[in-house]
Amino acid sequence: MTAIGAPRLSRRIGEGAFLAFCWLATGIALLALAAILWSLLTQGIGGLDLNIFTKSTPAPGSEGGLLNAILGSLMMCVVAMIGAVFIGVLAGTWLSEFARDSHYGKVIRFLNDVLLSAPSILVGLFIYTIIVAPLKGFSGFAGSVALALIAAPVITRTTEDVLRLQPIALREASVALGAPVWSTILTVIWKAAQGGMLTGALLAFARISGETAPLLFTALNNQFLSLDMTKPTANLPVVIFNFALSAYDDWRRLAWAGALLIAATVLTVTVVARILAREQRRS
Amino acid sequence: MNAQLDNPPETAVLELPPEVVKLAIKDLTFFYGQKQALFDVSVSFAANAVTALIGPSGCGKSTLLRVLNRMYSLYPGQRAQGQVLLDGEDMLSPRVDVATLRARVGMVFQKPTPFPMSIFDNVAYGVKLYEKLSKADMANRVEDSLRRAALWDEVKDKLKESGLSLSGGQQQRLCVARGIAVKPEILLLDEPASALDPISTARLEETIAELKRDYTIVIVTHNMGQAARLSDHTGFMYLGKLIEFGETEQLFTNPVTTRARDYITGRFG
Amino acid sequence: MDHTLKAVDTDLEALSHAVAAMGDLAVAQVRAAVDVFVRHDLPAAEKVVRADNAVDIQDIEIERNAVRFIALRQPMADDLRRPIAAMKIAMQLERCGDLAKNIAKRVPRLTAGTTEAQADIIAELGRMASERLAAVINAYRNDDAQGAYNVWLKDTDIDERHDSVVREIVAGMAAAPDAMGDAIHLLFIAKNLERIGDHATNVAELVHYQITGTDLSNRPKL
Repeated sequence: MTAIGAPRLSRRIGEGAFLAFCWLATGIALLALAAILWSLLTQGIGGLDLNIFTKSTPAPGSEGGLLNAILGSLMMCVVAMIGAVFIGVLAGTWLSEFARDSHYGKVIRFLNDVLLSAPSILVGLFIYTIIVAPLKGFSGFAGSVALALIAAPVITRTTEDVLRLQPIALREASVALGAPVWSTILTVIWKAAQGGMLTGALLAFARISGETAPLLFTALNNQFLSLDMTKPTANLPVVIFNFALSAYDDWRRLAWAGALLIAATVLTVTVVARILAREQRRS
Repeated sequence: MNAQLDNPPETAVLELPPEVVKLAIKDLTFFYGQKQALFDVSVSFAANAVTALIGPSGCGKSTLLRVLNRMYSLYPGQRAQGQVLLDGEDMLSPRVDVATLRARVGMVFQKPTPFPMSIFDNVAYGVKLYEKLSKADMANRVEDSLRRAALWDEVKDKLKESGLSLSGGQQQRLCVARGIAVKPEILLLDEPASALDPISTARLEETIAELKRDYTIVIVTHNMGQAARLSDHTGFMYLGKLIEFGETEQLFTNPVTTRARDYITGRFG
Repeated sequence: MDHTLKAVDTDLEALSHAVAAMGDLAVAQVRAAVDVFVRHDLPAAEKVVRADNAVDIQDIEIERNAVRFIALRQPMADDLRRPIAAMKIAMQLERCGDLAKNIAKRVPRLTAGTTEAQADIIAELGRMASERLAAVINAYRNDDAQGAYNVWLKDTDIDERHDSVVREIVAGMAAAPDAMGDAIHLLFIAKNLERIGDHATNVAELVHYQITGTDLSNRPKL
């Protein structure tokens, strides 16, 4: 009895200890997240009023909102996403459908993975060097290019992954009917993978909507409401960066409100992406 | 008197009379890169008949099927030598347009592969590639194909629903309908019932038996009972070679070669 | 036989074994029937009649096992021919058993009017019939298509012998009209033995079919 009981006891202790550590680690991570969300909520909710959406960033001491920054961020993100989706979807399709086992494909895949984890400040500096400096001016377009450069690898990767999940037999079934490969990809494979591809795009959007570093070197900022993306363009992350470091209480309040806005957007987009991904798996 | 018993031949391939032959394969060899998968296969398939190909996994029966509609040409490194004569015309000739060939030689796969679109569009998909039909003509074609595949009664009220919403057996019959909608001459079936339950299998087999009247059917199957039930001729393949080909009744009651006998009776190969 | 599924081998062996054993029993019954006739041993004749039950039971058993084998193992080719042949052979053997029983049943009805000569020729016919049956059972046991073929070729011997036996008895009828009843029994006994020979031919065809898959019955005899 003891011969069997003794090791069982020690095994149970070991198992219990391991489980406890796992719980502890998860708890710490969740606690940190909760603390961030809590401070965001308590500090940011106070500044959240209608002015945020109707007025542009003020001079210190005067009343204002974040309209120019929200609009600028939105414009840059949309333009960036258009470029990133175009490049990412085609690149991911090429990797999945045409370069699956080729050496060239492997090299591209590796480089894409490197780009995927490149520090965003490097991307900002890179765009500064090749666009902002030669053209002698910060611009919203430069910001879009930087953001697109961050989003494209994400979309490339997710597109390739979801396309690879589609069974070979599905491609062959279409080809067996006499369909050319390109129309098979367009009408059958993309359609089968559209949920996953949309999820990837949404995750990429969530990723770039909070990026600050690349915009500091590219879009810079603009105090006034402007739709001209060839000029420096206001955007939430940089406004938050500037206002949060300022000595003015009302600026800092706006920074908190902006941070809450970004967090809420990222959270919503991520949740939507998860739901879409689950729908995709179910069908 | 027992010459067959004492000294069975290594291979025995029945020659069909030329007037019944739809598809004739001559000295076909096939390579996956460096690896040879088919060795000098020569055999004929009769029109308006079901020919079954049986053999252990990796014997080349699916490979043979994939040569017949040149599916292999999707993959670089795979190549075939020899002739595949469809009504006397060599389908492996580079002059033959692959898309046209595939319209003449339809294929249904092991796992049901409905496209992510409506039941109607699944059937219409292939037709749209070749023909510009009016709305009414297309509706007729879709209905006719679904009827032939014995699926019409089950789906006529939900043609707009996704093909993925059907059961496995229905999906496979949808794939059959999709294949015959383009009016092919030959229908290739690669283990079409291996993922289906017995009732769905029986329905599919009945469908195939019906389709025989209008098409030349070649079916690859692991299920010997299915080969015996469905086919008029059966070919047994082993290690990339065609060992025995003959009337199904003869092959299953009194195979000539030892390899075929050992395989169909479940003896050690 | 080396089936991948060992149980198939076990089943087939058991089936063949049962058929061979039934064949042995049928041969023994035929021999015993002829023997009790020659010795006019009434108690032994009674035993032969009762022993036929065992043959009937074996026939039923073999049929049941063959049907079960076909249903459960779904055999093909020679594996399918074996249970089919087993069923049909068992039926033939069961008929042989019945004929032997019929001979034994006639023994008490003979009023000792059989002449030595008549007994001898019938005993000879009986020996030929039982040997044929034994030979074909032997061919079955050894999967010997050639042996079965040889038995099948020689089925005229018994017919000729039967004809001469009939002539002998009919001649005896004319010589001794009082023993007419016995003579008729003798004719039936001879006929039964001749039919056992026919059954042995049928079994030979079945053995040949089982092994080679080809049918002998339509083939002209050389």
